[in-house]
Amino acid sequence: MIEVIDLVKHYRAADGTVVRAVDGVSLEVRPGEMVGLLGANGAGKTTTMRVLATLLRPTTGTARIAGCDVRTHPIGARRHLGYVSATTGVPDRLTPREILRSYGRIHGLGPDVLEDRVEKLVGVLDLRSCADRPCGRLSSGQRQRVSLGRALVHDPQALVLDEPTSALDVMGSRDLLDFLVTLRSQGHAILLSTHRLHETERRCDRFVIIDAGKVVAQGTREALAAGRPGGLEEAFFAAVARPAPAEVVP
Amino acid sequence: MSGEIGWRERLRAAGAVARRDLLEFVRDRRTLFITLLMPMAMYPVLALSSTLGLRTALSDLEAQQAPRPLAIVASGPDAPRFAARLDIIANDESRLPHPDWPASLTIDVQPPDRAKALFEEGKADVWLDVASGAIGELDGDGTVKLAARVAGSGATERRIREHVTAVMRRLADVTRQRRIARAGLPRTTLEPLVIDFVGGTQPASAPALRGVVPTAAGAVLVLLALLTATGAFYPAIDAIAGEKERGTVETLLIAPCGPGDIVLGKFLAVFAVTLMTLAMNALSIALTAAVLLGYLPDDVRLGVGAARAAACAGVTLVGYVGLAALAAAMCLAVTAASKSVKEAQNTLTPVILLVSALAGSALLPGREGHGWFAAVPFAGQVAIAKATLAGEAAGKATPVVTGGLVASLALSLLSSAALTWLLLRTTAGMITDEELLFRGPDSASGVFKRPAARRRPTPAEGFVVVLAGLAALWYSQGIAPEDLARALPLQQALAVVLPLVAATWWQRVDAVETFGLRWPCGGGARGWGAVVAAALAGLGMFAVGATLLLALRGTALSPEARRLSERVVDLVQRTPWWFSWALIALVPAVCEELFFRGWLLSALRSEREARGRTAAAVALQAAAFAVFHLLPERMPQTLLLGLLTGWMVVRSGSLVPAIVAHVVHNSVPLVLLALAGGAETTPATVESTGLPPWTRAAAAGSLILGVVLFSLIARPRTAASAAVPPHDRWRPRGNQE
Repeated sequence: MIEVIDLVKHYRAADGTVVRAVDGVSLEVRPGEMVGLLGANGAGKTTTMRVLATLLRPTTGTARIAGCDVRTHPIGARRHLGYVSATTGVPDRLTPREILRSYGRIHGLGPDVLEDRVEKLVGVLDLRSCADRPCGRLSSGQRQRVSLGRALVHDPQALVLDEPTSALDVMGSRDLLDFLVTLRSQGHAILLSTHRLHETERRCDRFVIIDAGKVVAQGTREALAAGRPGGLEEAFFAAVARPAPAEVVP
Repeated sequence: MSGEIGWRERLRAAGAVARRDLLEFVRDRRTLFITLLMPMAMYPVLALSSTLGLRTALSDLEAQQAPRPLAIVASGPDAPRFAARLDIIANDESRLPHPDWPASLTIDVQPPDRAKALFEEGKADVWLDVASGAIGELDGDGTVKLAARVAGSGATERRIREHVTAVMRRLADVTRQRRIARAGLPRTTLEPLVIDFVGGTQPASAPALRGVVPTAAGAVLVLLALLTATGAFYPAIDAIAGEKERGTVETLLIAPCGPGDIVLGKFLAVFAVTLMTLAMNALSIALTAAVLLGYLPDDVRLGVGAARAAACAGVTLVGYVGLAALAAAMCLAVTAASKSVKEAQNTLTPVILLVSALAGSALLPGREGHGWFAAVPFAGQVAIAKATLAGEAAGKATPVVTGGLVASLALSLLSSAALTWLLLRTTAGMITDEELLFRGPDSASGVFKRPAARRRPTPAEGFVVVLAGLAALWYSQGIAPEDLARALPLQQALAVVLPLVAATWWQRVDAVETFGLRWPCGGGARGWGAVVAAALAGLGMFAVGATLLLALRGTALSPEARRLSERVVDLVQRTPWWFSWALIALVPAVCEELFFRGWLLSALRSEREARGRTAAAVALQAAAFAVFHLLPERMPQTLLLGLLTGWMVVRSGSLVPAIVAHVVHNSVPLVLLALAGGAETTPATVESTGLPPWTRAAAAGSLILGVVLFSLIARPRTAASAAVPPHDRWRPRGNQE
């Protein structure tokens, strides 16, 4: 459902130097699978996801959503894609219902289907209490749920979520991740990037660890953490070749 | 990519984006203030202050024009008898009323010292010195010369002079009648014609008001243009820069439609708000005008019929709809290049000032709403409306909507539509620009840091260098010598060579790639073929351009253009042919091609080439090339030449054909001068009418043949082409539309 093959993305920095943000990344997310994309800041997670979301052009390599190449068939890819990032916001002056309706219309949903879909999402995402309040007055958690609803309004089969829990508190984060698990069980393919390993390590089916634009390790939590008492976190530090922080003894 | 989605889906997506944005706009207090509140408040305030001013001005005018008592003190030997004559005239009841006759007339005869004292104390308005023998001259056939000193200053002095003149003219009339009677001639001898205006009287203050109306109407039209454009200000900022700042623009860019569809949706929303602003302004102006008429005295109201006023308003509004579309597209384009709301505001503010300057230029004398000026953005619309309203205020009996007006209006709308389309295409290119979308905050520190080596300059660097060149060209006019043999090299050096060398060195661009310094079509026979085809096209281009110039402006040249032509002829006549050819044809062609088709076109095409962007780049550099020639007469011809040579560079990837075409183009007038004998040929005939019809047909044929040949020989290269280096290959179109 989500395929990345030898993806390379270079861009030019302000001083004119070429930055290799992504340097030969390959990964795959099948339907009904949730894959965690792990990496330090600047590792290339967001760039990879932006290429998948058709926001950036790949320098070389291939990225596909539901079989549609993001370079040659971006509109086809977008039809099957739901994308949320830590930086995507919601229009402050619109209410959650209005946002869901407007994005549904942009995706070409007819009036009847649209209303059903909007009401279903409002219920599932627990937005009933604030569905008719301008988003500028909502909490971070509510806004993030609206953002997720916006990404799901056209019922995409592939979800690319770039640190969707970064602005949420513990409870909000748990609710959102549990909702994603539900979506996975319904057959959605989910690629999720996060820095909060403990939240995702038991929810994701597999992990891909990237560092300096390259995939340095990938596999299930069990495979990556095999023989490591620190579990996934230690495996992550080992993969990116940085020492794990020393345990603080009180 | 357009094959991926049908036009119905595209329109539906654009409509959905427009609906979403409009919903946001109407909940924005700033937009509501600009759209609804400002027009409703501004015109009444302006009208109230201007009406008070107008009433004060009219009162002052009335006071100035009202008759005032006139006190004359006369001195001199014949003063008593002269005063007696004036006294008779003052008391003559058969005298016809005259607007300059004083309210009362008193004449006092005094010795010179006393008369001077009275005059200086302000007790007399006029001091007349009546010389000895004046009455004798008056009663005979002579002419009396009176010395009159008038008190006061400004309007008072002017009014006293008018009174004195009226009194003396009456005395002269009476004297003239006596002389005629004495000569035995009938009184009608000196009065062969009398005119009597029948039906109504001319309102006393109407002439003054009619002088005010066009000025006031022009100011209101400029204000209307400015406020209409301002209506697009906040919605456009909100629609793109605001979305970037809120992080919502990404959510639109991943919608299943092209960036052009999203920009169209945003344009429709901003255009709707701008139209609403226009409508509210127009409504406020109409209501304010109705109220304003009630404030004015009855005798200054103009008798404009409701139907004619509606026709004037209709013509104005139709033109301003184009202006509103252009303003919406322009604001969107400017904000698309900004990352944040603050940056967009900072960029748009000078643009709005530029709009007001353009609109204000329509008020300059000679800027009527016909001819090519109708196509000038933001100025043409004002000029058309001004011409319509000025004709109405002058009370012309001609219909409001004439054929000429319709043609001007059509030209204006066509120009607005073309520019709007171009701006929207540019916006669609910028909205997906990765650097604009995801770059960090702007910093001026980068300007002073020499960048790393790269293939081409950026669009911003392209324009900065052109602006520097244009400024150098403008200022060099002040220091350049009159002799073209010295002026031309100086101008080329300051305006082209210096900025280009400095920019190429500082920006570390790849000179071969930026300037297309390679043989066309990989060299060989095809390369030579492309050069010959370019020469043919350049040969025909001159006459075609000159014909276009004739069609647009006629044979009349402005004094500046005539002066330049004379200097060219002078240079050709007194220098060897090779020297003048090098100076007029070769050097400018090489320099300008390096500058515009090399640096600027390369910068505008950017690293990622797309068909629309390349077309826009060719059009923009041609427009800049035309402006660079400063004289409006030369702009149509240079625009065409810029388009032709720009296309050649894009087609062949080489600057050589463009240089050859330009050199040949510049050489044609020199050859014509030489054939015509030089000294006997005026510049105007060489520039325009000196081309017989057969030469024009031959030139058109040469141009068409050259273009077709070039098109066949210099086919665009593909990635599969093995004959060209990799960096020359056309890149496949990106994943954005």
